[in-house]
Amino acid sequence: MTQTTLDPGSARAPGPSIADTLRTDAIPAPAPLLETNYSFLGNTDLDPQRYTSKDYFQLEMDKVWTKNWQWACREEHLQDVGDNHVYDIGDFSVIIVRVDESTVKAYLNSCTHRGTRLLGATGSGYSQAFTCPFHGWSWELSGSLRHVPGRWDFPHISDETHSLKEVSCESWGGFIFINIDPNAAPLAESMDVIPEHFSHFPLHQRRIKLHVEKILPANWKAAQEAFMEAYHNFETHDSPNGANAQYDVFGSYVSRFIHNIGNYSPQSLSDYPGDKWRDPPLTEQELLSMLAVEQRPLKDGETARAVAAASMRKNLGAELDVDFSQTSDSIMLDSIEYHMFPNMFFFPGVLVPMVYRFRPLGNDVDKCIFDLMILEPIPEGADHPEPPEPIRLEIEQSYTEVEELGWLGKVYDEDTGNLQLQQQGFKIARKGITLGNYQEARIRRVHMTLDEMMEK
Amino acid sequence: MTNANYEFAAHVKDLPVGKTKCIVASDKEILLCHIAEGFFAVDNLCSHAAERLSAGKLKGHKILCPLHGAAFDVRDGCALSRPATLPLRSYGVRVEGDDILINTDP
Repeated sequence: MTQTTLDPGSARAPGPSIADTLRTDAIPAPAPLLETNYSFLGNTDLDPQRYTSKDYFQLEMDKVWTKNWQWACREEHLQDVGDNHVYDIGDFSVIIVRVDESTVKAYLNSCTHRGTRLLGATGSGYSQAFTCPFHGWSWELSGSLRHVPGRWDFPHISDETHSLKEVSCESWGGFIFINIDPNAAPLAESMDVIPEHFSHFPLHQRRIKLHVEKILPANWKAAQEAFMEAYHNFETHDSPNGANAQYDVFGSYVSRFIHNIGNYSPQSLSDYPGDKWRDPPLTEQELLSMLAVEQRPLKDGETARAVAAASMRKNLGAELDVDFSQTSDSIMLDSIEYHMFPNMFFFPGVLVPMVYRFRPLGNDVDKCIFDLMILEPIPEGADHPEPPEPIRLEIEQSYTEVEELGWLGKVYDEDTGNLQLQQQGFKIARKGITLGNYQEARIRRVHMTLDEMMEK
Repeated sequence: MTNANYEFAAHVKDLPVGKTKCIVASDKEILLCHIAEGFFAVDNLCSHAAERLSAGKLKGHKILCPLHGAAFDVRDGCALSRPATLPLRSYGVRVEGDDILINTDP
C-alpha cells in the first residue's frame, strides 16, 4: 500500500482538502481558519482501563479536575447582584456569585464552621447572603462573615479564619471559569491559541438560546471523544461529510477540527463501503436540499455552499438583527470545533453555534454529564437576556424530546447512542484502544496531556 | 367542589414574562408570577423563614428567596432546595381579557 511509504501521520483522505474549500469561498475565512497545525503524535494503543478504572478516575480527580480551569457558567447567569451558580465536579462544589456590578467571586460550597454544603441545589440561584442550613452561620456575598448565632462561644474565629474559602475565578468570552487549585496559574496559560483565534469570532456577543444537560452512560472521556472526530459521520450519521475533515493540534490544551457543511469530497469516500455519495456524487442541488436553509433552483455555476451562506447571511441576519455581511462562508456554515483541555468545546460557527462540556457524574467512572448549549449571536451592544434554565435528560431519554433542537435531536441521539456499547466493550477488551494517526490525533493529544498531569 | 373566590390581581399588560407582583388579599400575601408557561400564584412568604419572596428573584419557573436562597417551583409551590423543605401554597389563576384573577380561597 502506498501509505507505508509516507511518514506516519502524513497521509490524508483523497480529494480536495478543507483548506482548498476555504480558499475558494465567496467571503474568505479569517486567518486562524486558514492555519493548519498537525504533527504526528505517535501511534501506540491506549489502555482501555483509562475509561473504566476507579483508581485512574481518582487520579483524574486529584490531578486534573482539581488542578485545571473549567467553565462553570456564563456571565449572563450572573446579571444581578446576588445571582449565583453552583458548579459540581466530583466531590467538589463551587458557588460563583455576582458580588457587585464589577465583581464575580467563587467560593467552596462548604460551611467554615463544620463543613456543611451551603447551597444544596446545582445551577442558577439567587440570594443576598449565604446561610448555612445547619446552625445558621451566614456570610455576605463578598465572603466575609455576616452573623454567627451564639458568637460568645466562638472567641477564636474571625473573618480571616472563617470567611468563605475563595476559588480562583476568571472570565473569557462570556464564560466564567473556575480553578479549584489554590496555586492556579492564570487562565490564559491554559488556553493556547484560543484568545487570539476567538478575537476573530467573539463568543461574548452571544446568548444562550438553549441548554440541554443529559446524563450519558459512559466515562467522560469516551463521551467527549465521540465529538472530537468526524471519522464516524459515515457510519453513525449516514452522512457524506467529514471524511476529509481537517484536524489541528495547537498545544497541550487546545485542538480543533473543521468539517465543511454545504460541500463534501466524493473522493474522500473512495474506500468506504458501497458507492453511496461517490458514484454518482451528490449534485449541488442535492447538497443544498440537505441544509436547513431557504431552497431554490441553483443556476449554472452556483454552489450549494455559496448560496446557503448567502441565504443565511440575509435571513438569519434579519431575524437576529445581526450584521453578517462580512462573515465568511466558513463561519456561517462549517462545523468548527475547538477543544480546550480537559472537557470544553467551543464552536465559532453560526449554523453550528454549539458549546459542549463533559464531566463525570459525581464519582461514577461509568457516567457523565453532557452540557450542550446553543449560543446565538446577538446584536452588537445588546444586553443579554436572562438565560433559559437547562432542560435535563436522563440516560434513557432521547434528544428528540427537546423540541427546540429540531433536526439536531436525531443527530445527538446518534452521537450518544454508541456510548453504552463502547463503555461495556472497554471492560472486555483484550487489546488497547487504537487511534487513527490524523483523524483521531485530538483524542491522543488529550491523553498525552492527561499523562503529563499524572506525572506532576 | 372546592371554594373559589377569584379576585382581580393585575393587568396582563403590566406583568411581562419574568416579572412578579405581590398581592394582598384576605390578609394573605400572594406572589403572582409570569413565566414562559403562563401565570402562576404562590404564597409570598418563604416556608422556611417567612422572608418575602417578592424581594427575591424569578428564574425560569423558580422563585428564589433573597435571605437563604431557597428555591420553589412557582407552578406548584414545591420546595426545590434547602433550607426550605415545606411547599408554598399554590393558588389558581385565571386570565379574562386583560385581567389576571387569583383564587384567594383555594
